[in-house]
Amino acid sequence: MLRLILLSTAALAVLAVAILLGVAIGETRLSPTVVYQVLANQLAGAQYPVDPIDQGIVWNYRLARALVAASCGAGLAISGVILQSLLRNALAEPYLLGISAGASTGAVLVSVAGLGAGAISMTTGAFFGAVCAFALVALLAHAAGSGGLRNSAQIVLAGIAGSQLFNALTSLIITKSGSAEQARGIMFWLLGNLSGVRWGDTLLTAGVAVAGIAVCAWHARALDAFTFGSESAAALGVPVRRVQLVLLLVAALITAVMVSIVGAIGFVGLVIPHAARFMVGVRHRRLIPASALMGAVFLIAADVISRTLIPGQVLPIGVITALVGAPVFAGILLKGRGGRA
Amino acid sequence: MTAALHVRNVGWATRGAHIVQGVSLDVQPGEMLGLIGPNGSGKSTVLRLLSGILAPTTGEVLLAGQSLRALPRRALARQLAFVSQMADTQDAIDVWDAVELGRTPWLSALQPLSAEDGRIVRAALAAVGLEHKQRSAWSTLSGGERQRVHIARALAQQPGVLLLDEPTNHLDIHQQLSLMQLVRGLPITKVVALHDLNQALACDRLAVMRTGQLVAHGTPQQILTPALLQDVFKVQVSELVDPQDGALVLRFKPL
Amino acid sequence: MPIRRLAFSTLCAAMLAGAAFSASATEYPLQLHNCGHTLKFDKAPASVVTIGQAGTEMLYALGLGDKVAGTSLWFNAVQPRFKAVNDKVPRLADNDPSFESVIGKRPALVVSQFEWMVGKEGVVGTREQFHDLRIATYAMPSDCEGKNNLSGADGTRTAAYDVNALYKSVQQLAQIFDVEARGKALVDELRQRQAQAVAELKSSKLQNVSAALWFSSADLAIDPYMAGQKGVAGYMLQTLGLRNIVTSAEEWPTVGWETIAKANPSILIIARMDRRRFPADDYQKKLGFLKKDPVTQHMDAVKNNRIVIVDADALQGSIRMVDGMEQIAQAALRLQGAAR
Repeated sequence: MLRLILLSTAALAVLAVAILLGVAIGETRLSPTVVYQVLANQLAGAQYPVDPIDQGIVWNYRLARALVAASCGAGLAISGVILQSLLRNALAEPYLLGISAGASTGAVLVSVAGLGAGAISMTTGAFFGAVCAFALVALLAHAAGSGGLRNSAQIVLAGIAGSQLFNALTSLIITKSGSAEQARGIMFWLLGNLSGVRWGDTLLTAGVAVAGIAVCAWHARALDAFTFGSESAAALGVPVRRVQLVLLLVAALITAVMVSIVGAIGFVGLVIPHAARFMVGVRHRRLIPASALMGAVFLIAADVISRTLIPGQVLPIGVITALVGAPVFAGILLKGRGGRA
Repeated sequence: MTAALHVRNVGWATRGAHIVQGVSLDVQPGEMLGLIGPNGSGKSTVLRLLSGILAPTTGEVLLAGQSLRALPRRALARQLAFVSQMADTQDAIDVWDAVELGRTPWLSALQPLSAEDGRIVRAALAAVGLEHKQRSAWSTLSGGERQRVHIARALAQQPGVLLLDEPTNHLDIHQQLSLMQLVRGLPITKVVALHDLNQALACDRLAVMRTGQLVAHGTPQQILTPALLQDVFKVQVSELVDPQDGALVLRFKPL
Repeated sequence: MPIRRLAFSTLCAAMLAGAAFSASATEYPLQLHNCGHTLKFDKAPASVVTIGQAGTEMLYALGLGDKVAGTSLWFNAVQPRFKAVNDKVPRLADNDPSFESVIGKRPALVVSQFEWMVGKEGVVGTREQFHDLRIATYAMPSDCEGKNNLSGADGTRTAAYDVNALYKSVQQLAQIFDVEARGKALVDELRQRQAQAVAELKSSKLQNVSAALWFSSADLAIDPYMAGQKGVAGYMLQTLGLRNIVTSAEEWPTVGWETIAKANPSILIIARMDRRRFPADDYQKKLGFLKKDPVTQHMDAVKNNRIVIVDADALQGSIRMVDGMEQIAQAALRLQGAAR
């Protein structure tokens, strides 16, 4: 019990440091004193005189963004854990279910094809696109498997089919009606973009992430039982269909919400679970919190890098996660361990 | 003595094809029942129906008088353990953790492992002779060791009935022999699907499957007659007696 | 004698007038260099198809509306003074037209505003494709001179936008169509209006005024598209003596609000447009955002309401550009006056 408390405290401390760095480092230079003063003003009721612009930047822009980055990173990471464990596939990741592709289609329908005439935001369009795509993929997998998830290959293939379809739709809409400017706006979103997030988004993403982690933690033992396959899990008394359904829905929902708010950020759901397994092993009791934490820190770092790598220009965050994620993944593969024999 | 497992006219069909039909038998407590038959005869399906993993489309299976359908999964998993043919994993799980999975039906979602659970896991490992390999990674184990880990996991479930699907497939001969010896020695009811008819001789009773139906059941002496072997397995048999210990050995020849 | 002198003067005047007119008549065959291609004309083209509103309105301004066989790529409604003429011209597409719809009109010339429409990676086609069919293509210099359209989303300007490219378009088109006098008149008008706007601002002794121009944003709170240093909008700011706080060389770079707020420009210019593709297209929404966002509301320009609203169509390298400059100058003067 004591160990649990110590570990939790250490984990939260690491997260707090990451968030603090995310707040202190950004596009423009703010001195640490200013950052400290703003935080003191907001959190401890201090009365430091601070330029209201600096105050707004630290509190409303950077802090909200760091929290959203943490939530998204954690959410995408545990979605990856769920999918890799349930589908018994080391390359499974949240976008496998066609969710990201559907979200893109929804977003371009709103912003390029003009669906909703400016009344619906890209986020709303993206969310509905994500949900539609997932529903389609699930139906397809269900029909292909004649009523069950007996073979995880079905859902993988259904996901690929769904992704291809929705990606093609996205391309069609862009080429048909998009100007260079619109295509550029979408490109930025398709690669991930945290610049527009504010406190409202923070509440949503943090809530979804925490709820998702809680559900996963509850199912840690059940997820362990899938180690030798779903039949083995059934033999151990796990209600296989129900667990698969609940956890897949959770993964899909987390991903849909995150993608609709910050765009498609890749590699987090794929690489972080492997990195976490490398560090803490395969038991989900440790794997889930570790993945969540590592995902959170990773995405905060990626966001900071995307803003500071090229001065005066903000890179899409998906570019950073790919540039970092791919070599890390290669390194894990080469090292031989990493949770997979 | 009530049967450990009572199978009543059980059948399973899918997409219009009857894979198994009209199987009825009793598994006596403490016995080792061998399930034999050629490929495609439905042995694996019957085993899955007995374990509750598959629900029969006709008939029912009763465990200690209760229908499997009525038993909640966890309760079922506490009485009955199933080891499938080729359960493998790519995860870097170690032996202890793999066996500890057997405690799943006894623990609720957030409940951590107790000292008692640890003792049971250790006992299971001892029963299969793998205590010294507690922390070995799965990938470092041989085929025979892996099967023994599966059996240890099944034992950790503390079942009254153990169901094994062709446990000696893909194993070296010495591993086959030691595994069957281990299984025979377990003090619980065992139903084992077998391919090797010489191994079948060591069972208490046998049940013979052909094209989804149970064609005979009884002691090995009653079952493994030349007539049945010719009919079901399409081989000629000579019964020999090993001069060293008087044990019965079967020699097979093509028809 | 007075009658003879009168007749002589009249004759001289007529000759001079005749000479003046004949001097501005185009000499055919005409050879022009245009964006890496050499164009040859034996006579004024009988018909022309335009891709891009700038080219369309330029031809209308030169009185060549009756020669336009088809138009395409419109950003907003045609200028009211050209409405009557435009109504008689078939519109091939609101956006990019298909290659076949263009050649279907059998034009002698195609005038393209952007290289990404007709060019090496042209959406409609390459210039060679048209030349193969003996259709000449004219690419407006504003988009190809000093700009590399193969890099950057809207192309990256290698050199700052030069208004002379605009005048060149007018003059060259006028030359091609043998209306050089009208071309000269148009260029003179544009030059004079621009000079007046600049002079008015200069005389007002505006010192050290910094500015930022917000075009639109993909989503309301997301990083906005601002005018960069070297593009048309950047040129306008610079010519008017306003310091553009955005340092990027791209035409419309995305710049974070954090950077803009910290730079705290003296005036903010926002674009008004009819298009409603992004929520931020609506200038009212732009204003609403600026006033409510926890960071931008503290900017000097927002607090003191030093926000200038200018039409988006006036922010392109077209004859409307001078309209935009006049609008910005007027509004800036008003703000300056209000501040004092």
